[in-house]
Amino acid sequence: MITKKIQEYASSLLADQVVDCVIGYEVGPRRTTRPIFVDQQADTDRLVWNQNCSHNLTVYLRQKLNDTEGRIGIVVKPCDSKTINVLGAENRIDRDRLHIIGIECEGILEGNVKQNADSGELQRRCLACDLTEPLDMDYMIGGSIERKNLPDNSTSNKLSRWLEKATADDRLEYWLSEFDRCIRCYACRQACPLCDCPTCLFEREDSIWTGSSATTKDNRSFHLGRAFHLAGRCIGCGECQRACPMDINLGELNRVLAREMEEQFHHRAGYTVELSPITTILGEGR
Amino acid sequence: MDFISKKSLESWLASVAETKKLYAPVYTDGVLLYQQPNEIEDIVWDFSRPVQSAKEIIFPQSEKMLTIEKNGQNIQIIENLNNDISVIFGVRSCDARGCLVLDKLLVEAEPVDHYYKTRRENTALVGLACEEMGDTCFCTSVGGGPDNSEGLDVMLHRHQDGYLVEIVSSAGEELFNGIEFDRQDIAFNERRFEPEFVLPSQDLLKSSFDSEIWRSESERCLSCRICAYVCPTCRCFDVRDEPGASNNGTEIVERIRGWDSCSGEAYRRIAGGHNPREAKADRLRNRIYCKLHYTQEQSGMMACTGCGRCIDSCPVNIDITEIIGLILEGEPG
Amino acid sequence: MSNQNVMIPTVGKLVQVKDIAPEVKMFGIELTKGLDNGNSTYRPGQFAFISAFGSGEAPFGIASAVEPGGVLEFAVQRLGGVTTALHELAEGDSVGVRGPLGNWFPMDEFKGHNLLVVGGGIGSAPLRPVIQEVAANRSEYGDLSILMAARTPQHHLFLEDYPEWENIPDCNLHLTVDECDEDWKCEVGLVTDLLKITDPKPKDTIAIMCGPPIMIYYADKVLVEMGFSPEERYVTLEARMHCGVGKCGRCNLGETLVCVDGPVFSMDQVGEFLESYL
Repeated sequence: MITKKIQEYASSLLADQVVDCVIGYEVGPRRTTRPIFVDQQADTDRLVWNQNCSHNLTVYLRQKLNDTEGRIGIVVKPCDSKTINVLGAENRIDRDRLHIIGIECEGILEGNVKQNADSGELQRRCLACDLTEPLDMDYMIGGSIERKNLPDNSTSNKLSRWLEKATADDRLEYWLSEFDRCIRCYACRQACPLCDCPTCLFEREDSIWTGSSATTKDNRSFHLGRAFHLAGRCIGCGECQRACPMDINLGELNRVLAREMEEQFHHRAGYTVELSPITTILGEGR
Repeated sequence: MDFISKKSLESWLASVAETKKLYAPVYTDGVLLYQQPNEIEDIVWDFSRPVQSAKEIIFPQSEKMLTIEKNGQNIQIIENLNNDISVIFGVRSCDARGCLVLDKLLVEAEPVDHYYKTRRENTALVGLACEEMGDTCFCTSVGGGPDNSEGLDVMLHRHQDGYLVEIVSSAGEELFNGIEFDRQDIAFNERRFEPEFVLPSQDLLKSSFDSEIWRSESERCLSCRICAYVCPTCRCFDVRDEPGASNNGTEIVERIRGWDSCSGEAYRRIAGGHNPREAKADRLRNRIYCKLHYTQEQSGMMACTGCGRCIDSCPVNIDITEIIGLILEGEPG
Repeated sequence: MSNQNVMIPTVGKLVQVKDIAPEVKMFGIELTKGLDNGNSTYRPGQFAFISAFGSGEAPFGIASAVEPGGVLEFAVQRLGGVTTALHELAEGDSVGVRGPLGNWFPMDEFKGHNLLVVGGGIGSAPLRPVIQEVAANRSEYGDLSILMAARTPQHHLFLEDYPEWENIPDCNLHLTVDECDEDWKCEVGLVTDLLKITDPKPKDTIAIMCGPPIMIYYADKVLVEMGFSPEERYVTLEARMHCGVGKCGRCNLGETLVCVDGPVFSMDQVGEFLESYL
């Protein structure tokens, strides 16, 4: 039902030239849901909505806005809409050039890089999510979903509960063993809509901040450094973890820091269009 | 062929691990990788393929090539070669084929890559033949096969409660020297596996250079490089100088090489900012062409072994077999 | 030869550091045993990797003709990490040299022909040894036309060499800039304009170009219009490189590797790739 509505709406947007392109989801030949960029009305019948629409499509916005003159339509889940708020607060995108097609979301299923899941567990980030509708949109698609009865954000799984109570030494051992699997492919960074520095600090050619080798020491600098750069900005879409070929528990790492931000600074990223309170603005007489 | 029971094989593996570095498919926090097992019982025998290929061991993610010692303007340069003697157990045919491609590029093409050559010469490959092909496997379409023993030193074929032993090379013979086989001269029934599809000809590939396929298929690409890192044949690397620990007034610099990929944004960017492959379409096209066409032209061997890892790992489902299908159709996706 | 580890640089000493243009220095490097431990000499068009130990190494065209026991010269523009580190060095400092690498201009094939040498900016550095070799063996080559373009008069790399070049018999030197000052007595405009003004004839003439990719692209178009065949148009290309010996795979143009199949190419080898090289 939602699929049909997306197809019809996208078709009308393109026909009326409201947007140059609609970024949405399609199902590929191997039954995997993946992003699609539709700029022809004829292709709108490829658009879908299902519980495998995991990707945070906002990762494509900056490049697409650069490459086009007009406006971009984008299918947005509640979590993705938080990204748009952060990108807006940081002046990285022009909200007026977006046409946000909001989707009412029941949650996304686990395990869909290789193939669509028919049923099963909801993703960890969905279990911790308190939204059913995007926070900002130009058009809403969805039936009415019964308000989810969600467990408490912070300790809804065994690992989180363990981390809350573990000693610093135990936590360090856990995280270092996670980072040990890292092969420095930087897929986590590439999948993240908020990681967008022209040259990543951790991949500079002069290796001035951290080495490029996949050693415990260098991996630790990269992952911890990146987590801190995202603290107060990461909205918890979990795409970093889904993309990681080594299944490193990046989602949990970011959630830990998000909890800290909420407790210490009373800030939750992306619920409004405002900068994280720990942002420092350089220049202008400083 | 001779037959060896799984139990006897496990004892043999334990004895190998005593004198050499043994790598085998092992679950590390739920991820299957070729690693050194803590216990022989940790070795996984029923699997499709580890997430990373055997390349990880003979051409690691990073290695130190040189140590440079600076004492004022006095410079000493020390070559750093790895001398481990290793055995990789459980190698799939696609990974072995990958090693053959790397051999062509790094050893047979002059000048010799000393770092790769040393590791390769000191590493024996013991294969486990696949009994069936996975969803994303297509080794039969690129000149390989699930039980193809090319590139291996020994190939093991599953048989009842153990394995038939196919000795392929003299290094393999040496490995199994003195072993008591449980049974001998068992007949080996070769199985036929059909190719999944026919590859586009080199001419058709060349003529697809300006196709719309590259733009449409690359639009969702995140330039994340996973495809190259899990690939058994991708070997592009960058070289950096990084500081080592100083030593009594002597500055130590380590010249390190590490994996890089043409799918990465900055791959061809030069100082000053010019980047001939700024567009994702150009990068995707280069990578696919390198796999299916350029390496073939350069070395006589195709760089794709049909292992399917890139298909399984791509977060946005960019699929080389799908692209091949589009090229064969001759029209954009 | 094939047993050597070609990733190990030879240590050399900086014997000359000279400012020749804004952000460009000419380095002279002395190698006690010569290149490759005295095993080889080098030819015009080849390049070498220069190491600023601690910062890294980068490829540079060799900017001087071979002189027995002589010093290797390189023109280095400060653009990134390695070049900045090199620019901070002084005479007497140690650097690493890995080379000679790549192929070279087929000077023997050029003998008996007229030569049209076209250079732009920092790209004109690899052309200097060609000119020096022609000057040293003048009678073996036909007429020599040199066209050099740069952003401003100060950006011309070889202002010191130009008077000498003008005095080479049967040599015409033409210069142009994008923007000039009142002292500038030569042309103003792009190298393509300069080509049209000088109007070279393709008969028995080989054209050699080196410069920014966009300059090569447009200058080549003009030469094609003028009737130069692909075998009569030579170019030396640059690309990002990390090994320089065909192992790291980075510098490919199709199945051609710039570091081992080039950097010198004739247009019948790389013409079809020029647009994707931009």
